Amino acid sequence: MPSERINSAAAFPVTFRRGRYAGLTGNQVVRSFFGGNAIVSVVVLGLITLFLFREGYEFFGQNRRNLEIYRAAGLEFVDILKRQEEGFGALNRALFEVRLVAGRETEPGHPMATTAELEAFDAYASKFGDAAGPLREILGELVETASAIKTKLVMNEDRLAERQHLLATDRQSEAGAIRIESIDIEAELRPLLESRARHSAISGSLAKSLVELSDRMPSMSAPELQVLLEEFGEQLRDYVASFPRIERELAEWRHDREVSMPSAITAFLFGREWLTASFWQDWYGVLPLVTGSFLISLIALALAVPLGVGAAVYVNQIARPSERSVIKPCIEFISAIPSVVLGFFGIAVLGEALRKVSHIACLEWIPGFPIAERLNALTAGCLLGLIAVPIIFSLAEDALQNVPKSFKEASLALGASRLQTVFRIILPAGISGIISAVLLGLGRVIGETMVVLLCAGNRIAIPDFSAGPGVVSQPVHTMTGIIAQEMGEVVQGGIHYRALFAVGILLFCLSLMINFVAQRILGRYRLLST
Amino acid sequence: MSKSSTHPYQTRPGVRRAGERIAFWIFRVCTYAVLASGVFVLSDVVFKGARAVFRSEFPFVNVTFFTEAPESLHVFDYQGQKMEMGDREFRAFLRGEAHKAATENREPLPIESQSYVYSAGGILPCIVGTVLLTVGATVIALLLGISSAIYINEYARQGPMLRFMRLAIVNLAGVPSIVFGLFGMGLFVIYLKWNVSLLAGWFTLAFTVLPLVITASEEALKAVPRGFREASLALGATPWQTIRKAVLPHALSGMLTSSILCVARVAGETAPIMFTAAYAVRDKLPWQDLEHFGDFFFQGVMALPYHIYVVSSKIPQNDYTQRTQYGAAFVFLLIVGLIAASSIILRGKLRQRQTW
Repeated sequence: MPSERINSAAAFPVTFRRGRYAGLTGNQVVRSFFGGNAIVSVVVLGLITLFLFREGYEFFGQNRRNLEIYRAAGLEFVDILKRQEEGFGALNRALFEVRLVAGRETEPGHPMATTAELEAFDAYASKFGDAAGPLREILGELVETASAIKTKLVMNEDRLAERQHLLATDRQSEAGAIRIESIDIEAELRPLLESRARHSAISGSLAKSLVELSDRMPSMSAPELQVLLEEFGEQLRDYVASFPRIERELAEWRHDREVSMPSAITAFLFGREWLTASFWQDWYGVLPLVTGSFLISLIALALAVPLGVGAAVYVNQIARPSERSVIKPCIEFISAIPSVVLGFFGIAVLGEALRKVSHIACLEWIPGFPIAERLNALTAGCLLGLIAVPIIFSLAEDALQNVPKSFKEASLALGASRLQTVFRIILPAGISGIISAVLLGLGRVIGETMVVLLCAGNRIAIPDFSAGPGVVSQPVHTMTGIIAQEMGEVVQGGIHYRALFAVGILLFCLSLMINFVAQRILGRYRLLST
Repeated sequence: MSKSSTHPYQTRPGVRRAGERIAFWIFRVCTYAVLASGVFVLSDVVFKGARAVFRSEFPFVNVTFFTEAPESLHVFDYQGQKMEMGDREFRAFLRGEAHKAATENREPLPIESQSYVYSAGGILPCIVGTVLLTVGATVIALLLGISSAIYINEYARQGPMLRFMRLAIVNLAGVPSIVFGLFGMGLFVIYLKWNVSLLAGWFTLAFTVLPLVITASEEALKAVPRGFREASLALGATPWQTIRKAVLPHALSGMLTSSILCVARVAGETAPIMFTAAYAVRDKLPWQDLEHFGDFFFQGVMALPYHIYVVSSKIPQNDYTQRTQYGAAFVFLLIVGLIAASSIILRGKLRQRQTW
């Protein structure tokens, strides 16, 4: 490179005599100017990692503390009971659904069940619903006790933080004035732990009455209803069978069991709930956001890959040169449409249009149709597909362009048709370029913010994959969306703020990984073509 | 292949030929489907936006839309007529009504108005903010990016360090812009205490596109044949003279086109400025009521992309609000589209001209 030549210039018979500035020759000044800029760029780009981690890494410590309080205040204990109560609620709902089916008419004027049957069923259902009364009562009491303990713990925590802040700013006297109550956790938790005996009595009698109820199930003449009722009975027996486990969990529960750091990290990475500013317990589980991001990306790629690669093949192999010179810049121009404009288009036009189309009767066979919400994963996915198409197109087209011409010529000379040449020669030769194009498109789609923020529906829940492919019509939330939506309204330095940075770190690592793999594949492919 | 109809070993029409033709048609449909969806989005925004921006009589442009700040729109019935007024006009109207009522010695007529935020007035502060953000960020990004590319490609010694730098830059190019926004917030807004400001927005945007600028400029420099440099150095030119006279003139056009594309990217980004530079509402223009000259850099601005986000997510969709929404989207698309189109056209021209 030129730099080696500079050194050898000293041995050159004709040397330059130039002015020196601060002991440097003009060339060295220029060189250090460029070098300085390069260093600034690289250093700042390095700082990105540093600052993301600086703000984000404390999250895990805070989350651990968050989970420790959850345990110490007995919220975890109460949640075990809550699950028991929720199980009962689910049974109740199942019963209600059976009632709905029973009330339906098979033919006009002919209900599925007779009036007498329905009356018996209703009496049964109301008796069933009353069975869990004592359980709900004890749960209500315990919720209050645990909340009170949590409030005390959190208040102490805040005072401690304030004192540390005052000490750090060297205000000893003020710091001394802050009184921190010592909380006797054991004493506070005693009512909770003592309620175990009462609970076991309650759940014993509940189990007994449920078993009785399952024996006295009303019978239905319609066979379908009988099947539904039998299913319900099975669920009921499973539920009652789970009681000993709940008792055991309650008995084994310890408030002082340590929350390990890895568990705080897994609670973030695999937590199924992202719940903030709740009066009970905040959860920072990123799983719903990750699944939302990937679901949308999947939809986008499902649309963009065939279209993008198909267009690349068409432009590169099939189209006439004049057609090609028009299509290429036009598709490239699509990538210039700002994402916020696309997001706006989704809200204003596409969401409503898709919903209207989905309500056409003859399209009902398509999974996910009819769509209930205007803004959902499908709307966002379609628009992201439009963003990904130009990227995939231009990179894939480059890859096809780089396939040596002789490959094609040889194939044609051997008598292969053009279609065979495209599928057996050109595409396999350019496949690594196409794969890396798809990966780069994926990276772009996962990182896209405005479209998903505006069009994805922003419901924080893991989409219900039991709906099969119909899952695409559910509203979801994404990693990028949550950062953009919640960053504006969080307290700086708080756990929620740090949690958003932690999501940023995850996103950063994910996109680096995707990019790295794509570059790797591309590099290998370049090697092949030369 | 176009002469296939004349050569003697021509394939006869058959199932295979038909299959081939069908396959080619599928590819063609793919291509035109992409184009059609792009055109559909563009035309929707352009047609509906043009209605808000242009007028059928002189001066043919909705002047208030380009010269005023956004304000609330009030819609009400007045003496059987449907009236639409901006906030200031509406208040003046109410005062006038009260005055009229007082002189006529009667109760003022009850006016029940429906109000829509942001739907009246114009988008001048947003345009100004976007232009300021774009210009500042572009200057920083190009200065740092092109210098870095020159250093990396012309001066730096090849080695593991340089390879690592290249790898880092290429990979950072794929990092989502919202992550850069988080970084800008962590570094500029909080750590350096610049708060939500023009300066923080400039740097955040600049660093968002920096990896792209460096990579693109390096590509342009690499495209200049080595022989040019060797010839120049052999004639006794210094490295800087070589770069200035023998390399840059040939690489400049390539750098320019990629730079313009980066400008379009800077202008179009929303996520990086959401927490670093953009305000949802700010009545004053950036140069109004400044105490010190330095305050200019430490104030937040309204920006067109953020404004579009706010008006499309925070207010309901109806006939009154749609005008502002589509108008803003149209103007924004026009700005970004013109920049991008010029770069694409320029690149097309350059591809034809480069002959070495």
